[in-house]
Amino acid sequence: MTVLLTIAVVGLLGYCMRAVFIVSLAKHAFPPLALRVLEYVAPAVMGALVITMLTGAEGTLVIGVPEVAGLLVAAGVVARTRNVGIGLISAMAVFWILRSVIS
Amino acid sequence: MVQGSVTPSQVNAGPVKKAILEALTLFLPAIPFALVFGLVVVESGLPALLGWSTSPLMFSGAAQITLVTLLGEGASFAAAATAALIVGARHLFYSITLAPRFQGQPAWFRWLGPYLLIDQVFALTVTLDNRDPDYFRRYYLASGFSFWTFWMSFTALGLFIGPVIPESWGLAFATPVLFLGLLALSVDRWEKVVVAVAAMLITFALADMPNRSGMLVAAFLSILLGLLLERVRR
Repeated sequence: MTVLLTIAVVGLLGYCMRAVFIVSLAKHAFPPLALRVLEYVAPAVMGALVITMLTGAEGTLVIGVPEVAGLLVAAGVVARTRNVGIGLISAMAVFWILRSVIS
Repeated sequence: MVQGSVTPSQVNAGPVKKAILEALTLFLPAIPFALVFGLVVVESGLPALLGWSTSPLMFSGAAQITLVTLLGEGASFAAAATAALIVGARHLFYSITLAPRFQGQPAWFRWLGPYLLIDQVFALTVTLDNRDPDYFRRYYLASGFSFWTFWMSFTALGLFIGPVIPESWGLAFATPVLFLGLLALSVDRWEKVVVAVAAMLITFALADMPNRSGMLVAAFLSILLGLLLERVRR
């Protein structure tokens, strides 16, 4: 019962974090500085997320040549084609090929 | 009906269909993550249904894994809850970023929308044109509920098949690849490239901070760097 209550409280507080600005700023005009800041949120958070996903629990980066090559291919293909699906397929293909060659 | 006329539902079929297809594309690499979550629940020793209940109650993969893992390891409720909330704190950034797009939307959508605000929905909707609120709302809801349905289904499935997927397949690598692709799609100025690279480097440098909180510090510092670069350019 206590575990379920903990899960429910975390869920509620998590919802509050997602809703706080969306609900509270519904009627307020955004100052120009805030709008400029918001432009940088997506690249900053997504960049941080990518590294977090590649970092092990003990804080070490768990990647080798296949992963680095896959990431470079993904960035290059998406920047050129503007298509995330093609980038994903290309990157995973390079990752699997290099991994099978190296191992 | 007059031949050639277009009904409102036909006009709006575009964003809904597009959102579902794009959500499906984005969810494919997240399938291993959903299945791994099932494995985490099984290994935590929590009753399966109780562990799975984090999916509808929290709807936040990384925070769910954090909470279930720590509860399974015997951490105090307060410590496990705090860690899960810190892991999910990036949603504050998403909330403030999307807040202007929720202005002028119906109140029910401003209350319902945040529940669906996960990484993928943010990534898909942050680049949408802000001039058509109706299009934004329909796209957002269609993509959000698509992810919700996929996540509920696959985390339930993961309870059964998560433990048998070989780790050697390396499918988990698809998730960072996907986010790097979305990142590449979101940068349209050199300042944003610098901000993204700085966020990566700082996150790496702060990787040993507790509960992955380094990524929040990194995001904050790199946004400041972006503003500084703008100021220098002028």
